[in-house]
Amino acid sequence: MTLSLLSGLVVAVLNLLFASCSPAADAPKDPPAPSPAADASKAQPAVASDLVPLAIKLPAPAFKGTPKDLQLGPNVEPISDKPRAPMMVPPGLKNIAPGSKVTCSDKNVPADNLAKLTDGDKDASDQSIIFLRKGTQWVQMDFGSPQEIFAVVIWHAHNMAKVYHDVIVQVADDADFIENVRPVFNNDSDNTSGLGVGTDREYFETYEGKLINAKGVKARYIRFYSKGSTESALNEYTELEVYARPAK
Amino acid sequence: MDNTGWKPSASGLFHPLSALLLLLAGLALALWSFCLDQRPMHNDEAVNGIKFGQLWNHGGYKYDPNEHHGPSLPYATLALSHLTGAPQDLDQFNESRLRFTTVLFGIGLILLLPLVADGLGRKATLWAALFTAVSPAVVFYSRYYIHEILLVFFTFLALAAGWRCWRSRKIGWAVLAGVGVGLMHATKETFLITLVAAALALALNQLWNRWLDATASTSKPRRLKRTHLVAALAVWLGVALLLFSSFFTNGAGPLDSVRTYLPWLHRAEGASPHIHPWYFYLHRLLFFHVAKGPVWSEALILVLAVVGAWVAFARKGLADASASFVRFLALYTFALTAAYSLISYKTPWCLLSFWHGMILLAGVGAAALVRSLKQRCLRLALGLLLLAGAGHLAWQARLANVEYAADPRNPYVYAQTSPDLLKLVRQVEALAQVHPQGRQMLVKVMAPDSDYWPLPWYLRNLKQIGWWDQMPSDPFAPVMIVSAKFHAGLDEKKTHVMVGYFQLRPQAFLELYVDVKLWQAWLAKHPPQPD
Repeated sequence: MTLSLLSGLVVAVLNLLFASCSPAADAPKDPPAPSPAADASKAQPAVASDLVPLAIKLPAPAFKGTPKDLQLGPNVEPISDKPRAPMMVPPGLKNIAPGSKVTCSDKNVPADNLAKLTDGDKDASDQSIIFLRKGTQWVQMDFGSPQEIFAVVIWHAHNMAKVYHDVIVQVADDADFIENVRPVFNNDSDNTSGLGVGTDREYFETYEGKLINAKGVKARYIRFYSKGSTESALNEYTELEVYARPAK
Repeated sequence: MDNTGWKPSASGLFHPLSALLLLLAGLALALWSFCLDQRPMHNDEAVNGIKFGQLWNHGGYKYDPNEHHGPSLPYATLALSHLTGAPQDLDQFNESRLRFTTVLFGIGLILLLPLVADGLGRKATLWAALFTAVSPAVVFYSRYYIHEILLVFFTFLALAAGWRCWRSRKIGWAVLAGVGVGLMHATKETFLITLVAAALALALNQLWNRWLDATASTSKPRRLKRTHLVAALAVWLGVALLLFSSFFTNGAGPLDSVRTYLPWLHRAEGASPHIHPWYFYLHRLLFFHVAKGPVWSEALILVLAVVGAWVAFARKGLADASASFVRFLALYTFALTAAYSLISYKTPWCLLSFWHGMILLAGVGAAALVRSLKQRCLRLALGLLLLAGAGHLAWQARLANVEYAADPRNPYVYAQTSPDLLKLVRQVEALAQVHPQGRQMLVKVMAPDSDYWPLPWYLRNLKQIGWWDQMPSDPFAPVMIVSAKFHAGLDEKKTHVMVGYFQLRPQAFLELYVDVKLWQAWLAKHPPQPD
């Protein structure tokens, strides 16, 4: 009795098992019909039906042993040791972020947590970072009056080497970002956040933060978007700075 | 040697103990097989997957004495694939199918337990089966397509068959023990550590029996026949020869299985990125906590194992267990723990060899503790407490295999591929669907020191893909995957866009470059999806 129950269970498990739990990356798909292009490196127009694809001898993968394990910790190796070139801006600018009204898309984040974004603490420790939930999230600043913005600096989290996805900075004339919305930075190359295809490059989080040239754009409101990182689906923010002067 | 307890026999298959063990094994199989594809393939799993693929697609396997261990894993996968009617095309294999092979060997640790039930005692056998089923380390590395769990299974097979041979003096068990050692040999080079620990434990145990155990039987046990030992040795060498020679198609294989110890000894001396302090394994097993992660501990197993060892040496509360067998097990396990802790070269899955011994001893300890209580209600309470402890282990096993399956806060995760890499794989597959040549789309992958694994496994269905250790003279292709270490800047000519960084592992990143026209074509077919 027990054996028959068990054998039934085993068969059921086998059936379940080979139907993958999540959409398998290697699930069979119908391949598109091969092109008769002669050069495999560039798709060229088909000129004759008797052409065949050029077989290029490509190197096979070389087998590799177990790679080095790197634990989490504050002392991560920098991706690049080159110092950042200074940005040239007009004189008399100041960081207006601390005086702004900060809000965000994640309603679970309390106001006192949002104050961490403009308190000058850019440390990599967990106490200096706030977390916004998964998906495309934003932090918004209201400066109270139009400002002429020349530079923006963003620190998401530099506690380990990571790259934030869909980093978008927009300015607007209204709090709902409907009127006169202008992009300052956008590296959402595949438009997964739906705010337009970005042409800026992704970048590594470092202690220097990401310095963005806002080129004197005039606006009262600014939004900082992100959509998780290479490390986590959550959105981390450590500090935001906006260097500007009152708009004339 | 005492001679009590249950003996395996044909009718023993229907013994309540066997039925309970089968039930537990069935439950473990169901639980362990859950979402086997959840964790991205580790570098080593992908290498093993591709090596199996060469065997599956072309019938070829050649032992490499420098890396990647023995032939038992690909051949075991081959056998299971034939038995389960696997697809002929490797492209249609998934990670679950590969990992199911190692899961079966993990479950085998429970199924082999009846062979040593008269050594451990019946109740201890049940406790040991339960701890095997819920130990986070055993569950995690049984779902890992590497050699370790096979080594542990074949070791247990050899020990159990050896025990049965010792008890019965029948040649069949000696032959089976030889098969077990031969398969250990054909699995991983570290089998020698196990053999040395077992030989040491056997010698010390015999000395203990003779000089220190006044209660041991005074009658001289029958000596093992020399023909049995010769048969076991011959079978060991025969099995190893068969597998290392790839069934007599690779003449150098058996010699390579000896040559392999040169590079491995070099690593053990310290020439490796896997040099860790002596407490590396115990730290991960007994108390492991990284900020914002749970506290992990399998200390219950160690505590019970110490109790199990104590009762064997003190000969108290063993009931139907064999003191000699448990003492051997304790000496073997502690010798193995010491050996693995002292060797500088450490990868966390190696802990499985000695941890399985601890689990068997923990079974003895749990049964002895419960038995030591006089009152029935106290025994019941302790039994429930131990079950709660097993439940806590099961909860950790779930965390380790689901929520923290690829998270560095998991003590069993080591140089693990980031889930972020799967986004890169999906993006490249999506680009191939848009590209006029489909899966014939040219893809160039460039990373120093071949640091692109496990991509060869995930991108195996792309037929025009090349792999470089350095930037080639002409790196350009419709799709290029380049290590961030190269600072390649292949988008500077504006012919390509760098569409993002993807994390291969912590601190290792890949850049994805796509031909501008191909990217525009992909964008046109993929409007943004709402969260």
